[in-house]
Amino acid sequence: MAQPGGDDRWDRSRRLGWIDVDSVLESHCLVVGAGALGNETVKNLALSGVGKVTLVDMDHVELSNLNRCLFFSDRDASGKAAKADVVAQGAMRLSSHCEVLPFVSRIEETDLDWTGFDVVFGCLDNIKARLHLNSHSRHHRVPYVDAGTDGSRGKIQVVRREGPCLQCSMNRSHYQVLERRFSCTAGDFTYYEPPMAAEVTTTATMAAMQVKEGLKILSGREDGCIRDVMFYDAMSNESLVLELDIDEDCPNHGM
Amino acid sequence: MTIEVTIRNAENGSNLNMELEPHTTIEDIIEGAAEFWHKEAGAYVLRRGKKLLKGQSTVMDAGLKNEDVLELIPDPEGG
Repeated sequence: MAQPGGDDRWDRSRRLGWIDVDSVLESHCLVVGAGALGNETVKNLALSGVGKVTLVDMDHVELSNLNRCLFFSDRDASGKAAKADVVAQGAMRLSSHCEVLPFVSRIEETDLDWTGFDVVFGCLDNIKARLHLNSHSRHHRVPYVDAGTDGSRGKIQVVRREGPCLQCSMNRSHYQVLERRFSCTAGDFTYYEPPMAAEVTTTATMAAMQVKEGLKILSGREDGCIRDVMFYDAMSNESLVLELDIDEDCPNHGM
Repeated sequence: MTIEVTIRNAENGSNLNMELEPHTTIEDIIEGAAEFWHKEAGAYVLRRGKKLLKGQSTVMDAGLKNEDVLELIPDPEGG
């Protein structure tokens, strides 16, 4: 017997009450990074009904990605397929409603029309690209939801149109990491020594939380968003939400 | 006037007592604690209660008091 609402793809989402499904269906999100977080985030956006996703990533699939990336296969790794292309194709198979536009490029080298984005999702693996995304989101007044992971730990920061930004939360230790990354970069390749620990349950958890925050923003429920930063530790099962003040010396404020 | 605070290591729960001058910055505390625990180079933040402390703030700016407990948290960079 058919269930009530069984012929409406978004029926169960509508039943939540707080999700503005119509706004979600019409929305256009920018996702930067198509690695472990990006795979999950784009999957969650597509299944949630987001109409359009612009996806930026310059990298190709490697075998070591396959312990945590939903859309990648051995074939993608052996063929060195572009991550953005593979995720775009996979997400569009999940939802015929969702159009994913892949850009195989560094975000810093991509010429995007920022005025069309409703929410920006950072699924990145480096501070330099995060700072780029943060400053552009601030400049264009697009809410930015950043996620990061390291092993069994994760972090989500919601950068609203008003309030502190990602750079406000950074200190000298972040800039030292940034300098080290620069010193390890040669040509088109960035070397990470040692590679970061990563596994799918933590990355999937953080991507789910990240998209949940995005859905709140798209649904006009910013009041329910993380304010301002959430740290998660899978091994102690602890999550911690911390407030952050605007840094008066931050270049993204007072402009 | 110096104050003494306890720094908690969020990764293993161990504690460290630090004596701080009023002009010591949060960044100095982060560096000192990371060095003491021989942490790998990486990004860290410091919290007091529900507040994430600004790196450039001094002990005085941040209103730190004797016997405060601060926590050093790794800031995950991976994606």
